[in-house]
Amino acid sequence: MATEESFRQLFAANPVPMWVFDTTTLAFLEANQAAIDLYGFSREAFLERTILDIRPAEDRMALLAMVRSERPPLNHSGRWRHLTADGRTLDVDVTSHATTFEGREARLVVVRDIGPELRAERYEERRRAELQRLAGELERRVAERTAELTDLNRELEGFTYSVSHDLRAPLRAIDGFSLALLEDGGAALDERGRHYLDRVRAASRRMAMLIDDLLALSRVSRAELARRKVDLAEIARGVLKELEELEPERAVEVVVPRSLPVAADRNLMTVLLHNLLTNAWKFTARTEGARIELAVERQDGEMAYTVRDNGAGFDMRYAEQLFVPFQRLHSVEEFPGTGVGLATVQRIVRKHGGRVWAKGQVGRGAAFHFTLGEGTS
Amino acid sequence: MTRGDGTKTIVLVEDNPDDVELTLRAFERSNIANEVRVVRDGASALDLLLARGEHEGRDRADDPQLVLLDLKLPRVSGLEVLRALRRDERTALLPVVVLTSSQEERDVVESYRLGANSYVRKPVDFVEFVEATRQLGLYWLVLNVGARGR
Repeated sequence: MATEESFRQLFAANPVPMWVFDTTTLAFLEANQAAIDLYGFSREAFLERTILDIRPAEDRMALLAMVRSERPPLNHSGRWRHLTADGRTLDVDVTSHATTFEGREARLVVVRDIGPELRAERYEERRRAELQRLAGELERRVAERTAELTDLNRELEGFTYSVSHDLRAPLRAIDGFSLALLEDGGAALDERGRHYLDRVRAASRRMAMLIDDLLALSRVSRAELARRKVDLAEIARGVLKELEELEPERAVEVVVPRSLPVAADRNLMTVLLHNLLTNAWKFTARTEGARIELAVERQDGEMAYTVRDNGAGFDMRYAEQLFVPFQRLHSVEEFPGTGVGLATVQRIVRKHGGRVWAKGQVGRGAAFHFTLGEGTS
Repeated sequence: MTRGDGTKTIVLVEDNPDDVELTLRAFERSNIANEVRVVRDGASALDLLLARGEHEGRDRADDPQLVLLDLKLPRVSGLEVLRALRRDERTALLPVVVLTSSQEERDVVESYRLGANSYVRKPVDFVEFVEATRQLGLYWLVLNVGARGR
């Protein structure tokens, strides 16, 4: 019969593994090429076996129970484990259909190899578990580091507190008793002796200045950033006025815009401008027609705030060193200072998410440009 | 603690002997003639100022005109001394000037919060120290009109 022949073709050439078994003897009656390929048994080997033979021993009772049970004509019996000819275990999804085969009561079984799917699922599960583990680990590490940082911060705070109290006291004694000696015992000292005592006093005052600048740097690091609308021009005018009052004999042309609003921390901006303008003031001390300017301008492709002077300037080869604490490009005799000011400026700018850079030329002045990361927050 | 000439004493609460000597010298240099009584720690300062312990029953007419208080002190800290003085009605209005090394903001804020009349940071430069002492003495010993005894 043509129809039966076409059904046989459909069975034999089907890419899905299929077989037929006798529901009474459980013997295989037929298997298609796809089944032969999947299980590794030849057609003859299949026909010599029963469906019990391709199950792991521990699954056979369950199989028998199912086979003996009343099943609907089309039965999806779900996930089973099957054995291949070389003893591997296959994960399969099984559907069977009641039929008759060469006069025998039989079932046609369609098998879907779900191994790759399961492996993908298991892999996915393992990956999820691993991700979860990593996330947990990360959280634990962040908590650990936070605790460490909190401890370190507390330690640092204690340290600076102690420095600001305890390190200054001996300096006061050194300066005070040196002066007492100069005043009370000065007659017994010669010129050289008095000179030495002057040096002792100068050194103690310089150390006090270093301590104060370091404490200011550390205060900046610890400060909480409170960003608000601040007028840089107004702050700059205040700082410059103070400088003018300290040295009224200096003639400096000051160029500050009417207003220069920014979104930044007011206290930190005051410290920043104090440092930059004091520098400009200091390094124009020997300049004829000294000029100090605050501006906002396009620099290297971005808008930057600028403090510019026409003073001593610096060699661009050393531009990077400017911002390193205690690095100075001039001797203390030339221009006094501790070398902490620009490090403080950099820390303030970075705290705001901005950057600071300098341009200069020896004898032609210096310009300090900074941004305040205003667009980013 | 009133002397024959009517000037009252200053109590200096300071544990560092160098600072004691320098402060006394600074007073001398600024022509402050008041008798200075030195106490070396916070507990002794409270005993003296609150007339308790070994100073139990001392004449309250002897109260000082001014207390100069260091913050870092053994046993009872300067801030604790200040707190105790302000809590006691006998010393609540006594002029107390914090005279210390630090300008840590928390020290300054806490001192004023607890009722310090003034906060002076001891400069390292002794010439500046003498000047600070002179102004301090001028204000608190000469110009200031105290609430007590009125």
